[in-house]
Amino acid sequence: MGVLDLLKGKFVDPTYAGVHGGGDIITTTVDAVVKWGRKSSIWPMPFGTACCAIEFMALTGSHYDLARFGAEVLRFSPRQSDLMFVAGTIPDKLGPVLKTIYDQMPEPKWVISMGVCASSGGFYRSYHVMQGIDELIPVDVYVPGCPPSPEGLVAAVMKIQEKIQTSQQAGAPQGAHRVGANGEGMYDRRARRAEWAKDDAERRAAGLPPRGVLTDLKPEPEIDHGAHHG
Amino acid sequence: MASAALPALSPALLEQPAVRVLSEALGENLLGASDFRGEVAITVDRKAWLKAVSLLKDHPELDYKLFLDLCGVDFLDREEEPERFVVVLHLYSVSKKRHVRLRTPVPEADPKLPTLVPLFKGANWFEREAWDMYGIVFEGHPNLIRLLTHDAFVGHPLRKDYPQGQRHVLKEPRKWLLDVPHGSEHVVINLGPSHPAMHGCFRVQALLDGEIVKDAEAEIGYMHRNFEKMVEARTYWQVIPYTDRLNYCSSFMNGHGWALAVEKLLGVPAPPRAEAVRVILSEFSRIMDHFVCISTNVVDLGAITPFFVVFRGREKIYELLESCCGARLTVSYVRIGGLAQDVPEDFVARCRETLDFVMDAAKQMDELLTRNVIFTRRFRDIGVMSKEDALSYGWAGPALRGSGVETDVRRDAPYSGYDQYDFDVPVGTTGDCYDRYLVRMEEIRQSARIIRQALDKLPGGPVIVDDRKVALPPKSEVYGNIESLMNHFKLVYDGILPPKGEVYGKTEGANGELGYYVVSDGSKHPWRVKVRPPCYNNYQAYPQLLKGGQIADAIAIIGGLNVIAGELDR
Ligand code: SF4
Repeated sequence: MGVLDLLKGKFVDPTYAGVHGGGDIITTTVDAVVKWGRKSSIWPMPFGTACCAIEFMALTGSHYDLARFGAEVLRFSPRQSDLMFVAGTIPDKLGPVLKTIYDQMPEPKWVISMGVCASSGGFYRSYHVMQGIDELIPVDVYVPGCPPSPEGLVAAVMKIQEKIQTSQQAGAPQGAHRVGANGEGMYDRRARRAEWAKDDAERRAAGLPPRGVLTDLKPEPEIDHGAHHG
Repeated sequence: MASAALPALSPALLEQPAVRVLSEALGENLLGASDFRGEVAITVDRKAWLKAVSLLKDHPELDYKLFLDLCGVDFLDREEEPERFVVVLHLYSVSKKRHVRLRTPVPEADPKLPTLVPLFKGANWFEREAWDMYGIVFEGHPNLIRLLTHDAFVGHPLRKDYPQGQRHVLKEPRKWLLDVPHGSEHVVINLGPSHPAMHGCFRVQALLDGEIVKDAEAEIGYMHRNFEKMVEARTYWQVIPYTDRLNYCSSFMNGHGWALAVEKLLGVPAPPRAEAVRVILSEFSRIMDHFVCISTNVVDLGAITPFFVVFRGREKIYELLESCCGARLTVSYVRIGGLAQDVPEDFVARCRETLDFVMDAAKQMDELLTRNVIFTRRFRDIGVMSKEDALSYGWAGPALRGSGVETDVRRDAPYSGYDQYDFDVPVGTTGDCYDRYLVRMEEIRQSARIIRQALDKLPGGPVIVDDRKVALPPKSEVYGNIESLMNHFKLVYDGILPPKGEVYGKTEGANGELGYYVVSDGSKHPWRVKVRPPCYNNYQAYPQLLKGGQIADAIAIIGGLNVIAGELDR
C-alpha cells in the first residue's frame, strides 16, 4: 500500500472542502493536509493541578494509551504544545498562572477542561476557587466527571480532532461575565447585627415600632357569602 | 478565675503526667484539663503559652518532641467558651507514645500570641496559616504573611462570619519570595507552580551560585480549595467525598481516617468485617501511593520504565476498588460506622490475584532501581534530614522513618484491628533520599503481608453498624415498614448528631500521620475540622534540604517527599 492509498481514505471525504480524488490521483489543498497532520499529532500540555491529573496519568499510561491518537508527546512547555488539558481545580491564586501559560501557547490552540472543577468549580463553591476556567480562557471541550473516566477523555480528544479538522476554535472566555467577585458586598454578620440594634434603638427613641411590625393593616373586609348564592 | 478553675482537676486527670507537670508548674495559669474519649486536652492562659509548650517539649517525663499540628478555632457566639478564638496545638511523644492537645483562648479584641517558631521549626507555616485563616497574630514570627490565600485577599476566611462564597480576584501573583540583594550576580530560578518537574502546584524560588543553591523559599496555596470551610456547611456524611480529594493518590485512606475520627467522637465502632475490609483496601491504597511516588520521582530523573511497570499494577488496584464501589479514584466507599455496601462475592480471590500481580510489579521496580548505579548516585546522601529536625518540623510517615524515628500509628496506636496483624516498621539510618525510597519499598512488602493476613481471616457479618442514629437502614426495610422509613428520613434530614466535644482521630496515611481534629457543637454540621496533613510538614522543610546542594538534586528530593497538592493546601 502506497502513501497515496493511505491518503485516499483520508481526503476523499465530504467534510474536506475542496478535496477531489479519483483513480490514482488526489488533488487536495495544503490546508487539508496540514489539518490532517495537525489533528493526528497533537502535543498536549497537561496543566494538571489536582486529583484529575492523576486520572490524566492513567490516560497517558500503558492501559488507555493516548498514543493511539497520536497525542502522546506530552509537552510541559506551553510554547511547544497546541492542546491544553486543564486537569483539576483552579483556585484564584492559580488564575494568573493559568492565563500566562495559555497565553504562551502558540496559535492555533485548543483547551480541554477536564472534570467539573475546571468546568464549573465543581463541589468547591467557595472563597478561593475559580468557578470554571472559562472565566479566564476559552474552552473547547468540557469533560464532565469527578474525575472523568479515561474513556471520557479519549472521547474529548476525538472531539478536539474533529474541531481541528473543521477549523473550529472557541473564541472568547465563555464565562467571563461571571467574574464579579472583587471583594464587594462582603458582610460581617455581627456588624450587621450591630447595625440592626442601632436602628432599633433609633426607632424606639423616635416612638416608631420596630421594623417588620406591620401597623397599617386594615381589617379584612367582610365577605358577604350570601351574595354568591345566586 | 484561677481559684474557680483549679479544683476542677479530678484525681484521675492528675494521674496524667502532662496534666500533673503543667498544673504544678503553671499554677493558676492552667485553666482546665479534660479527658474525652481517651484524649488529654489542657487549656492554659496565653501568658503561660510559651512556658507550657517548652515544658511539654523538654520535660524528661513528657518528651513531646514531635510537632503535629497547630490551628485556630473560631467560637463565635458560643457562650461556653471564654473568648472568641482558641489556638490548639497537638504534640506527640515518640518515646512515651502519648499524644496531647494544648489549647489557649485568644480574645478577639487583641488576638495575639507569642510564636512557637524557636521551639518547633514546623510551627512556622502553621502559624502563618492560623493568621491567614483567623487573623491571629503570632508575635515574633519571622514572616507572618499570607500562606494559603493570595495577596489580593481581604479578610480571614475561616472566621465564622466570613461568607463561604466570597471570592477575591488575584491579578498579579507574588513575584519574589526571596530577598535578592540589588546588583547581585546570583541567578534566581522559579520552580513551579507549573513546572515539568513539580508534582502538583507548589512553588520554590531558589537563589543559585552556579549550580549550588544558596537560598530557597517555598510558596504554597495554589491548590487551596477550602476543605475546612466547605465541611463546616456539610453533614458528617457529606464530608466523605471531600476527604477523597485530600491525598488523591490514596483516596480510600483519607475516608478511612475520617470515618474513624467521627466514630471516635460518636463512640460507635464499626463491625469487624468492615474494619478488615478497610484495612485491606487501605493497604492496597498505600501500595498504590508508594508506586506513584517512587515511579514519578524517577521519571523526573530520566527513568521511565518503572513508571510503566508499576502503573499496570496500579490499574489493577483501581479495578479492585471499582469492583467494590464503582469508582476508581474518588471512591467514597466508607460510611460513618462501616462501609457503603458489602464487597463483591469474589473479593478474596480478586484481592489475591491483584496482590500477586502488584507484588510482581513491585519486584520488577525493585530490580530496576535498588541497585541501579545511576539511581543510587542520584539518591544517596542527597537531601539528608537529621532526626531532630525531622521531629521539630513534624515530619511524618516514610519520610520521618527514613530519618530514623521509629514510629507508626498502626503499631503505636492501633486502629481498625491493626494489632491483630503481624508487620514490621522499617526505619532508615541516614535520612537521605535513598533511605526514604528504601522505607517505601519495604512498606510495600509489609502492606502485602498485612493484606495476606487480613484475607486469611476476613470475618463475616454486617459491614455497617445497626444503629439507626448513625447508619441508614437497609433499603429493603425502608420500603417495607414505616419505622425504617422514618429512621431513614430523620437521618437524612437531621444528619448524625454527635455529642459536644473535640476529638483528634489519627491514622497512618500513605504519607504519614493523617489527623482529623474535629470540634462538634452537637449539631449536624461539624463546627470545625482541621486536617493534619502529613506532607505539609514534609514540604515545609524542603527549602532547608535544598540549601547547599545542587539544583539538580532539588528534583530528586521533591519526589521523595511525596507532596500531594490536595493534601498540602486542602
Ligand atoms: S473534578 Fe473532582 S477529581 Fe477532578 S480535580 Fe475536581 S475534585 Fe478532583
